[in-house]
Amino acid sequence: MALVRLVVFGFLVLSVVYLSIAFYSRSVRREKLEEEWDANPPADASAEDRDAFIKTGLIEYHNGFRAKLIWLVYIIPTCLVAGIVYFTNY
Amino acid sequence: MRNIRRVVRIVVILFMGLLLHYALPQRDIARVTSTEIIRTDFSSINRIFYAQADAGAEEQPTRDLRLINTVRKTTYLFGMMRGRDQVMVFRNEDTGWIWPPYFKFDSSDLQAEATDSVSSKDDPEWVAITHYGWRVRYLSIFPNAIAIKPIDGPDVRLIPWFNIFFFVFLIAAFLFLRAMWMQFRERTLDPLGDAANDRYDRVSADIGERRGRVRRWLDTWRSK
Repeated sequence: MALVRLVVFGFLVLSVVYLSIAFYSRSVRREKLEEEWDANPPADASAEDRDAFIKTGLIEYHNGFRAKLIWLVYIIPTCLVAGIVYFTNY
Repeated sequence: MRNIRRVVRIVVILFMGLLLHYALPQRDIARVTSTEIIRTDFSSINRIFYAQADAGAEEQPTRDLRLINTVRKTTYLFGMMRGRDQVMVFRNEDTGWIWPPYFKFDSSDLQAEATDSVSSKDDPEWVAITHYGWRVRYLSIFPNAIAIKPIDGPDVRLIPWFNIFFFVFLIAAFLFLRAMWMQFRERTLDPLGDAANDRYDRVSADIGERRGRVRRWLDTWRSK
């Protein structure tokens, strides 16, 4: 019963952490894309071109490896708990 | 106002410090003199300083408690300095799946290990006892032993690697959290606030404009 409670609450807490980090990482990525565009905008570019550039960049980020790294938020604590259980009891 | 904030901050830091000092592992260099089991009746004051019944057992208001009696070297500065001999009694309880997260289920085995390393003053067998918690005599509470490892002698230096990594992680987590908050404020909260201000400006301008229109209409009735 205590194990169930740990799993449920652990999952909830880690989900909050996951969502926060995902939001933060996306926000940083977006800021970088905006800066990249604004530093050297093409001569005859419109606001739509800028939005399209940022959107493509974000989709690229979303499908890339860095966004998937955030799953480590779930994996590392699980491994840590498993490690502590092993080293404390064996 | 600033003083109140300062006091609140000090109280929070103090509480966090005490919590960490209670829950983080420490190691004592000790000689086990005996092990015993006593029946314990918890009071409402000292109950929170004990764990629950063994992981597979039923919780009862009263139960037996495993104790490990030792003579240890007094410890200063988080184990950097060791001093004279002093008696110390450890409890030996399962922490189970609950706080603090040591996930200890092997109290009986640990008790057997402790009994195995009992030694006398003339022929001491030194061990390092990993534990968390405090010994407070007025409340009858004991630190909880987690592991017992044989060591070469009473003068070995034990480096608290776990605590070092833990504090490095804590500082990194704090800095990361601060960066996250600053990013959130800059990119999400401030634009929202600006948008709200803009809307307020537009609405008040609109009200002024309307009032002007009503006033102008009323003026048409006035005799010139």
